[in-house]
Amino acid sequence: MLRRVTLFSLSKRKKEDEKVAKYIVKRFGAALLSLFIIITLIFCLLRLMPIEGYLGANVDKLSEEVIAAKLAAKGLDKPVPVQLFNFYRNLARGDLGKSWIYRENVDIVKIIKPKIKISAKLGAMAMALSLVVGIPLGALMARTKGKWPDKLGTGFIVFLQAAPSAVYFLFIQMYATKGTGLPMLYNDSKPISWILPIISLALPSIANYGMWMRRYMVDQMNQDYVKLARAKGVSNKAVMMKHVFRNAFVPMVQTIPSSLLFTIMGSLYVESIYSVPGMGGLLIDVIQRQDNTMVQALVLIFASVGIIGLFLGDILMVLVDPRISLTGKGESR
Amino acid sequence: MLNNGDIILSVKDLHVKFSLRGKVLNAIRGISLDLHKGESLAIVGESGSGKSVFTKNFIGLLDKNGWVDSGEIWYYGMDPDHPVDLAKYKTEEQWQTIRGKEVAMVMQDPMTSLNPLKTIGWQIEEALKLHQGLKGEAASKKAVEILQDVGIPEAERRAKQYPHEFSGGMRQRVVIAIAMACNPQILICDEPTTALDVTIQAQILQLIRNLKEKYGLTTIYITHDLGVVANVADRIAVMYAGDIVEVGTCEEVFYDPRHPYTWALLSSLPQLGIKGNDLYAIKGTPPNLFNVIRGDAFAPRNPRALKIDFEHRPPYFDVSPTHKARTWLLDPRAPKVDPPEIIRHIRNIHVGGVEE
Repeated sequence: MLRRVTLFSLSKRKKEDEKVAKYIVKRFGAALLSLFIIITLIFCLLRLMPIEGYLGANVDKLSEEVIAAKLAAKGLDKPVPVQLFNFYRNLARGDLGKSWIYRENVDIVKIIKPKIKISAKLGAMAMALSLVVGIPLGALMARTKGKWPDKLGTGFIVFLQAAPSAVYFLFIQMYATKGTGLPMLYNDSKPISWILPIISLALPSIANYGMWMRRYMVDQMNQDYVKLARAKGVSNKAVMMKHVFRNAFVPMVQTIPSSLLFTIMGSLYVESIYSVPGMGGLLIDVIQRQDNTMVQALVLIFASVGIIGLFLGDILMVLVDPRISLTGKGESR
Repeated sequence: MLNNGDIILSVKDLHVKFSLRGKVLNAIRGISLDLHKGESLAIVGESGSGKSVFTKNFIGLLDKNGWVDSGEIWYYGMDPDHPVDLAKYKTEEQWQTIRGKEVAMVMQDPMTSLNPLKTIGWQIEEALKLHQGLKGEAASKKAVEILQDVGIPEAERRAKQYPHEFSGGMRQRVVIAIAMACNPQILICDEPTTALDVTIQAQILQLIRNLKEKYGLTTIYITHDLGVVANVADRIAVMYAGDIVEVGTCEEVFYDPRHPYTWALLSSLPQLGIKGNDLYAIKGTPPNLFNVIRGDAFAPRNPRALKIDFEHRPPYFDVSPTHKARTWLLDPRAPKVDPPEIIRHIRNIHVGGVEE
């Protein structure tokens, strides 16, 4: 009887694994489809823009032949479906095309790669810092709910969220460099100069993580199962660690992959005040300058990052929450 | 049956207060009660009468804004010669010696009283580790044993599952299994069947009763379901407005009730109603416990109230060695007041039944 039970559960598990694999393939297909739609839409919309934008300041003085040559060089003389096909063909080879205006005729991959590296490096470190500070901050506030550490923390969080970030970013840059010898500008080869940008990047997320962690923990603390755990005789500390903290962390988990991946977008403001050569504001810049190939490339990258982030978040959720099953509806017991 | 030597818990003039929105609420107003080893006591009363609050004092789980204002709670379970006064327990460390180990609890809603992210086995083992010093393999083996004990089939496989894979009745069995894993002396069941459907209710009550017999537990049921009470209790304590107004054996309270509130409570039972008559309902609302209550708390809703009921609080009068009630009607000087028709009816049934 016993052996049969284990055999049964084994075969069941195998079946479940197959379902999970199927689900992942399905989700991946859906992700590719969404990407295709996004890119195609953006590509077509960009083609609706007036061609004068591509030709520089003295459009009026150019002869028809010169204009035609310039458009032909960008591949704009062909019909839109052909352009789209060419774009996808190059994409399949890993070629995102060349920049038109931002840095004329330079490979987009070459422009973006070092920028992404810098933004992602600073972003990842800032995120690590904000998790390491923000989560314990929220946990501490939940444990001391209503007492002074909680009130102090709430004040800190409200200030960070309510005050325009420019105020404290500039404050940090001006006053933290005095006396500490920390440099005011970013220098890729001097890690000491990374400190202030990282702190500035981390501050808003510290407030965010702290706020949500506190809120989720307070939610969990009022649950019946926490009361039962205490009635069992589990010490307060153990209840907090094994039950409350663990369960409150679950809803936080889902957003972590997205947040991490999105660090490659950089931060417009922090990067500009420390003159970090990162991705911050690049998309806005190339849109304004009508550098279509750059816009397409960036939209493609950011959209992929968004979709992959959500997907990874979902998978992480399955790992930490047994109630969620990737196998979907109809199979709930 | 009720000699003083086997008292396990003795409450003396307990007052519990809460601070709510800057005002003080008198939740428990001077309860005295003895609990005997191995007995099954039911505490009945309407919502807000303080049933749960009263028992939470035995396990140190009063909400943060509540406190024991005065009174004593002597617990004899650890060493009958050196009882401890739970009313004086303040710190977590002190309560850790009581919670689970001595007094365990089964709560109302099994759907929410288990941690959704931990396996059933884990949650039972947590209690085993704390109270029986078991670890690893031994703990998980014992957990499976306890699950079998509370009537969960395929316990070995079920122990690896999560709460969402269990039905409500099964979850309540798991909650009971957790309480049993603590190996307590007193088991408080706070409306253990309210959230379950009727067919499951009887099973769960039967389970608790079997475990009580098997392990010699002392059980306290909190309920407003008198049907449950009749099933499980040896003794009944009737609570009203933070006070026990009548206490006696099941038989005494059901067939010979003395307090007007108990009369009213029984009269409003649909099962006891007389066919063709409207179902009795107690008029008015329970008193506001923010106010100081003068006299008998039930007097304003009692059509048979005496003048003294509004002025002086009645003491307990003994009806029999096991039966007492807090009502001036039992004072020798009180005029003779007849209980309502339904109560007289029940009495007759009982007397008739005995004669047959």
